[in-house]
Amino acid sequence: MEEIPRIPQEEIRAIYPKVAQIIADALDRDAEEVRLESYLMDDLEAESIDFLDILFRLDRAFKVKLPQGRIIEHARGDLSEAEFEHKGSLTPAAQKRLQAYLDEVPAERFRSPIKVADVPRLFTVETFCKLVLRHRAAQA
Amino acid sequence: MADCGGAFSFVDRITEIEPGRHARGQFTVPQRLKAFSPCLVAEPVGQLAAWVAMSHVQFRSRPVTALARETRIRADVAPGKTVDLEIEMEDCTTAAIAYRGWARVDGFTVMELRDCVGRMLPMADFDDPGAMRARFETLCGPGASCRIAVDPVVVDPDITEREFQKRLCGAIGIPASAPFFSDHFPRQPVFPATLLLEAQIRLAAALAAEVVDPSLRPWLRPTCVRDVKVRTFLRPGQRVEIATELLSARGTTVEIALAAMADGKRVSTARVEIGQWEPL
Repeated sequence: MEEIPRIPQEEIRAIYPKVAQIIADALDRDAEEVRLESYLMDDLEAESIDFLDILFRLDRAFKVKLPQGRIIEHARGDLSEAEFEHKGSLTPAAQKRLQAYLDEVPAERFRSPIKVADVPRLFTVETFCKLVLRHRAAQA
Repeated sequence: MADCGGAFSFVDRITEIEPGRHARGQFTVPQRLKAFSPCLVAEPVGQLAAWVAMSHVQFRSRPVTALARETRIRADVAPGKTVDLEIEMEDCTTAAIAYRGWARVDGFTVMELRDCVGRMLPMADFDDPGAMRARFETLCGPGASCRIAVDPVVVDPDITEREFQKRLCGAIGIPASAPFFSDHFPRQPVFPATLLLEAQIRLAAALAAEVVDPSLRPWLRPTCVRDVKVRTFLRPGQRVEIATELLSARGTTVEIALAAMADGKRVSTARVEIGQWEPL
């Protein structure tokens, strides 16, 4: 399994205000409500359509080509579909991979088995900061 | 030109296509219609983008409306007129599409759509992939004359609440059956987002009329629709609560927030600018 490079906190902190404002605009909330550790679905009541909206706004604002509607696919990395998912739930290898990809999320949030449909519940504001930084680095 | 029979099919012909990237097409507003709402002009543009996306993914998935950042409306399209359509894909994958598009009449841009995003969903849940492929081939060849069937009464909201010059609420009842449901979509009837927007804009126009100088009322038109976000499908028989709220009024331009709810859930949000079109 390919290794996922860690992203320095100072890089995340540098883009967080802009990302937070974009998320606040997309969810029609005040920027102060959008903390780095806020879960988009549980804390900010985002729905799946909001993820598409946020990705599109980030894509435009940071001029990076983000995987529209495919965050999970991006998190999957080099794992095949069969290695990643079995009957709608993450395989143990996928869960390990996802925990490494979402290293900002506390371990206790990863309760096995995780349904693929529930993966977006793990996404925080920091997840989107890292998504931008990863794609920016890949496209540099 | 073949008869495609589609009651909600707004592309008559695809005249040029670069798979997954760009297309041009045409749509003639049926002469028998009394008028053609500016909102409905967005439908053929969106449908042309859908054909480009569907053909690009070999009809395995189809896009459904999700977001439209900005739609500028500059003129009415009279019945009998042919609308030249153009779309440019910015992203086209099996998960989502992003595009911009234009509708022109006699060389004049009557509508421009920017930053439109659609979710791609399994085609077989909505349409027969084989039938869609066949229709696409017809559109790219001789073209097809469609039988648009949209009852304007469907989108005329009943007013339920009024706060003079601030807020106007209403409701529409989606019919349990309508000809366009057989086309939108054959395997899963969904109330078209453009019809919901039309109902919302009618209500917004009534609110705008309370705000502007009475002499301007006959000239009020939607000029720009921003941040359309469609959250969920509306089904036959559902009742939709529509709320419009004044955001600002400057000169002859009024900006109004739009929201729709059904069964306690948010259905869609948007903002519309109502004002006067630039003279042609």
